[in-house]
Amino acid sequence: MVSAIIETSGLTRNYGDICALKPIDLIVPEGEWLSVMGHSGSGKSTLMNLVGGLDRPSNGSLRVGGEDLLALSEDGLARFRREFVGIIFQQHHLVPYLTAVENVMLAQYFHSVPDEAEARSALERVGLGHRLKNRPGELSGGEQQRVCIARAIINSPKLLLGDEPTGNLDHKSTVMVMELLKELRAEERFTVIMVTHNQEVAAWGDRTIYLDDGVLVREERMKS
Amino acid sequence: MLFRILKNSFLKRPKAVFLVFLSIAMGAAVATAFLGIAGEVSHKMALELRSYGANILLEPSAVEGGGFLREEDLPKIKTVFWKYNITGFTPYLFGIAEFSAGGKKERGVVSGTWFARQLEVPGEDPSVQGIKGIAPWWEVEGRWPEAADESIVGAALAKRLNVVPGGDVTTTVRGRTQQLRIVGVVTTGGYEEEQLFAPLVTVQSLLQQQGKISRVLVSALTVPMDDFGKKDPATMSKDEYEKWYCTAYVTSVAKNVEEVMAGSRAKPIWQIASAEGALLKKLNSVMLLLTVLALGASATAVSTSLMASMAERSPEIALMKAVGADRLQISAIFVGETLIISVAGGIVGYLLGDQLAGIISRTVFNSPISSPLWLFPTAIISAFAVAIAGSVAPLRRALLIEPVRVLKG
Ligand SMILES: Nc1ncnc2c1ncn2[C@@H]1O[C@H](COP(=O)(O)OP(=O)(O)O)[C@@H](O)[C@H]1O
Ligand SMILES: [Mg+2]
Repeated sequence: MVSAIIETSGLTRNYGDICALKPIDLIVPEGEWLSVMGHSGSGKSTLMNLVGGLDRPSNGSLRVGGEDLLALSEDGLARFRREFVGIIFQQHHLVPYLTAVENVMLAQYFHSVPDEAEARSALERVGLGHRLKNRPGELSGGEQQRVCIARAIINSPKLLLGDEPTGNLDHKSTVMVMELLKELRAEERFTVIMVTHNQEVAAWGDRTIYLDDGVLVREERMKS
Repeated sequence: MLFRILKNSFLKRPKAVFLVFLSIAMGAAVATAFLGIAGEVSHKMALELRSYGANILLEPSAVEGGGFLREEDLPKIKTVFWKYNITGFTPYLFGIAEFSAGGKKERGVVSGTWFARQLEVPGEDPSVQGIKGIAPWWEVEGRWPEAADESIVGAALAKRLNVVPGGDVTTTVRGRTQQLRIVGVVTTGGYEEEQLFAPLVTVQSLLQQQGKISRVLVSALTVPMDDFGKKDPATMSKDEYEKWYCTAYVTSVAKNVEEVMAGSRAKPIWQIASAEGALLKKLNSVMLLLTVLALGASATAVSTSLMASMAERSPEIALMKAVGADRLQISAIFVGETLIISVAGGIVGYLLGDQLAGIISRTVFNSPISSPLWLFPTAIISAFAVAIAGSVAPLRRALLIEPVRVLKG
């Protein structure tokens, strides 16, 4: 019996009158690759942000990795994020004035101590060994997203969150990024939650849940 | 890593950084200049004000008129406890005389004095004493007397006698006559314009009062009077008296001088002395106020430019928070940035301010300034204070940034 890394019950998030997430009960076993699908505005990002400790729920309970996120202070959530979670966004959010390797080292710096050799080998693992000293502006979309992946995994997170990480990429880059994530997951054994609009991308996971207007309407297990 | 972040962040936004640097440097420059000259100004203003009149008057203590002081006691003034505070003194001997020049006749005051007398006192540095030193505002058309039979005449008297430099005035006292060559006409704006000034020895022999003087005017640097200084020394305990004696109140310096001039009574000339103290105090508070205002203004400028760059930097801050930076780590980056800029701003501000102080001192006081040692640390601390005060609001804003709102896809 695999233990649950994420457990929510009655998880709700309101923005004023807007109910972005209706009460949701969700259990994610450790090591699972979960895809999240739904229309734009259905609450996918809201769910990701709550699980990743970037946002606080309006109601319900939320345990991630044994930690009650509602009980954590702002700095406690920051510590949770740097120690437990790796996040990849749709828009490759990199610090524009830092090079690829410095962007990866930034995550190390907030986590503990920057280690340039380690950051370099993480970039080599995502196939960017030749782009270490380039700034984000000099990299293609797919390359930037791979820098984000290197940054997300550098502190060996237990949970990797991707909010439409391939949303801005062409087919070839998408496949490359997904292959890479699959490889890394095989080595590092982290849990993946991946928001996507793309049925094909969702199919890389073990299970897909569907959100509609803040409600978990359906789930689907992939045949392995 | 922090250093790398800061370095790259600086290189990326040179304009914004320069703006903050400039604000801090200007604040530090103004603080340096103001504080640098404030101390110097008090000192120099005291000297300048001093030149507008003596502040201690020595007269014979005999209540009935006609008493005299002794000229031979004068050098002792240079040996008293407060000798270094005494910037100058000059003796006078007055008499009524009959002046005649070119057929015009008039009764008036003849005044014997020192103009610029070389004074050698054993064991003390030689000095020059006389009217030229303690009344530099006297305007002499012509030149100052040098020989025993040379004199200068007050402008009003000169006009009535119709004499100009080069002319002669015959001065008669009780039948004794002295021919005086007029070498200058003096304008003072005061009663001196009605008198004729000749060397002390000349007037002494004219009046038959060899070695005698009727008053001495002393110019001394003093501290402003306070409540303690106003107490009557006669009512003081021994300790109090000692403290009073060792503080350069105009009264204690006067007492000091009185002790060496036999038969004299010293009177502080109050209006000038107290006005000076009050003026200097006001001047110093104005300088301090201006400094604080200047620092406040540059802190506001720092705050404004940091706030402006905050809008541009919020994605970067949100991102740092998203990858796990806590408040302390975010603050370290911000405070680190402003502190580095403020060290640079402080150094440049100090150099500029020091120059500025020099220029002000040269134009206002005609003398260079020596910047005190504490000025550099003061400039750096002012720069830090400006940087920190200017960072508070922007840092608060940075800490309030919510990553989910900023990074929304
Ligand atoms: N910060 C916010 N303030 C107000 N409404 C928000 C905010 N963030 C999201 N929402 C609303 O919540 C709903 C869900 O948003 P989101 O989770 O971003 O959807 P998705 O990622 O599925 O497109 C939407 O209706 C959106 O407008
Ligand atoms: Mg979304």
